[in-house]
Amino acid sequence: MNENTHDHTHATHTHDGKPIQNDDRPPIEAETLETAVRELLIDKGVISAEEIHREIEMKDGKGPELGAKIVARAWVDEEFKTRLLTDGDSAVLDFGIDMRPTELCVVENTDEVHNMVVCTLCSCYPRAILGIPPAWYKRRDYRARAVREPRSILSEFGTVIPEHKQVRVHDSNADLRYLVLPQRPAGTENLNEEELAELVSRDSMIGVSDIPS
Amino acid sequence: MRGPQDLGGLPAGLVDPELHEHIPTHWEKRIDAMMTLLFDPKRRLARVDESRRMQEALGEDYHKYPYYERWLLAISWLMLEKGVYTQTELDEKKKEVRKRIEEERSGS
Repeated sequence: MNENTHDHTHATHTHDGKPIQNDDRPPIEAETLETAVRELLIDKGVISAEEIHREIEMKDGKGPELGAKIVARAWVDEEFKTRLLTDGDSAVLDFGIDMRPTELCVVENTDEVHNMVVCTLCSCYPRAILGIPPAWYKRRDYRARAVREPRSILSEFGTVIPEHKQVRVHDSNADLRYLVLPQRPAGTENLNEEELAELVSRDSMIGVSDIPS
Repeated sequence: MRGPQDLGGLPAGLVDPELHEHIPTHWEKRIDAMMTLLFDPKRRLARVDESRRMQEALGEDYHKYPYYERWLLAISWLMLEKGVYTQTELDEKKKEVRKRIEEERSGS
């Protein structure tokens, strides 16, 4: 399947905001099973073709941009930041995000602590905020090594955390999702909330990269 | 004993953030959408832990399947278990679909 295909881009949307279509087909056995199950569910009235279509459209519209807005708000609004760190679920409701049935825990990067997120058991991820997880997040290599050698993994992302800084790894699960609140880069005092949001990358909210100053 | 999904702390290869980036295919998005719909409050036909139970039951085969194929197997078995369709219905449907896709792929 396509999990392993080369794809040298982080972009999931074209410049006019439309999702990039990837129409690669899986092996025929997999396509057959998916089509058969989907058609049976439709025939039985469990789900409709229209619902599947709408769900895909909705997911295409959900990406790390939403997370970036939340981070930028926390950088400019101290009261919001406190709420985000103490009761993530209620804070993100301000952005129309309903985390239920899972719980959101936001962890803050500081001068002393760098946080990163993994799901060793499967691929739990704050999808409502960041969209579908990247392929590397779901792969064995990341899942297995993140908890034992986080600094090595970080270096593979080009991220070097100074020795004096503690690295904390958070293992997500089916009920609890983590989001990293990255540090606001120096020299951004004059930027407004919207401009700040543009600096925030998906990887910085997973904690595998920092935001360059 | 460790299940096949329990990877934390095991030795593994390097992460290549560029190479291991991937734009979901339309086929993967359909599976993702189906799973979400089956989990939603309207249907409540399955939960995350049930989907994981199915995937983890693959044992060592867990690693043979790509991510979304595991999700697909989980959906197909859960719906069987919950009596949404029978094995016979699924087998017949698969036969019919397979023929259609073969024809489509050969361009006829």
